[in-house]
Amino acid sequence: MKLRARTSRFVLLAWLVACFAFSALTNLAWLAGSIAGVAIVFPRQAPRAARRALLTAVPLSLTILLLTWAHARFVLHVFPDLHAYAALALRAALIAFATFAVLGRVDLLGALAPWPTLSRLVVITLAQIHALRLLARESWLGLQSRLPRKPAVLDGLANAGGVTATMLTLSARNAREISDALRSRGF
Amino acid sequence: MHIPDGFLAPTITLPAYAVAAPLWIWAGRKHFGPNQIEALPAVGALTAVAFVLQTIMIPLPGGTSTHLVGASLLALVRGPLVAFVCESLVLVIQALFFGAGGITVLGVNALAMGLLGPLAAWLVMKPLGRRVPGIGAFVAGYVGLQVSTLAVALTLGLQHFLDPGQLPTPLAVVLAAMMAPSLLVTGLIEALYTLFAFRVLVRVRGRNTG
Repeated sequence: MKLRARTSRFVLLAWLVACFAFSALTNLAWLAGSIAGVAIVFPRQAPRAARRALLTAVPLSLTILLLTWAHARFVLHVFPDLHAYAALALRAALIAFATFAVLGRVDLLGALAPWPTLSRLVVITLAQIHALRLLARESWLGLQSRLPRKPAVLDGLANAGGVTATMLTLSARNAREISDALRSRGF
Repeated sequence: MHIPDGFLAPTITLPAYAVAAPLWIWAGRKHFGPNQIEALPAVGALTAVAFVLQTIMIPLPGGTSTHLVGASLLALVRGPLVAFVCESLVLVIQALFFGAGGITVLGVNALAMGLLGPLAAWLVMKPLGRRVPGIGAFVAGYVGLQVSTLAVALTLGLQHFLDPGQLPTPLAVVLAAMMAPSLLVTGLIEALYTLFAFRVLVRVRGRNTG
């Protein structure tokens, strides 16, 4: 169950402060303890948040770290201190884990209610993203079906240019319609 | 391209927020203005476009792919401040819902990808746009991406310089890993994309006005 709007605001504030505090941690024990702490505070959200963090934040940070480690080992011919690498990977994972756990618990739009401009902006943006993504995907599928061969980079770019122009035109029209709808509802 | 959470310490992220916050307020006041009913949907729509642009993958030879940024194009079409606001919102949505980038590094990413790159693109387009708009759009797209990438790389290098325990990757590695693909591949792709999109937009506008 989601938290009430007022409680959500406090949780979001605490999460923001915690994220900055987490980003300063370099001690492995503190980082591991913080991950355990987040899992204890958000037991229901923890499994899903951990899975999302493993899929999104961890692969990227691990790739960057492996590249850096390989450079140090094979180009500079030094054995890098693994502590800093492990701390960085854990830190990235911890912040992503905490973010997903908190967002799974709070009512984000309810928390944003005192700032109607912001909440309206979020709603308008999120509402359009799905439709525009669908448009971009269908356009890409259309390009693939039109060409007798696999689309090359230039084909993809020319198509992306066309899609962008369509999206910008469409978004301008959507913006007008939404502003008319808002006005008709007394905003 | 954007920096993930955990890579930068508050010694960098907090000052970046301090720089970005007044710019967000200024840009918000300027573009949301007194008539929010008109401005909000437009900004929301442009943000959605910017977000979707970054999900369009361009296949590269060798089985890999890259994605577009599109902030330079937004700056050319709507101005650097609108690009800054929209790109910042894209970064917030990506951080909160998709685990890309992050909330602590939002200020840094917004300044690098939303302000410096698009501003550079807009400045390049200003003198070139009237005489050779096609070349202007191409160069603006290329320069915008390079400036954003360089800003991100330099910030990571600064973090390593301030505290190698926080980020063990030295500036030389960051620059090589980020600038080489940006200069050789993604910059050209972004430039070509900016050129194609700009041409189509000019044609559509000409048709609508003419």
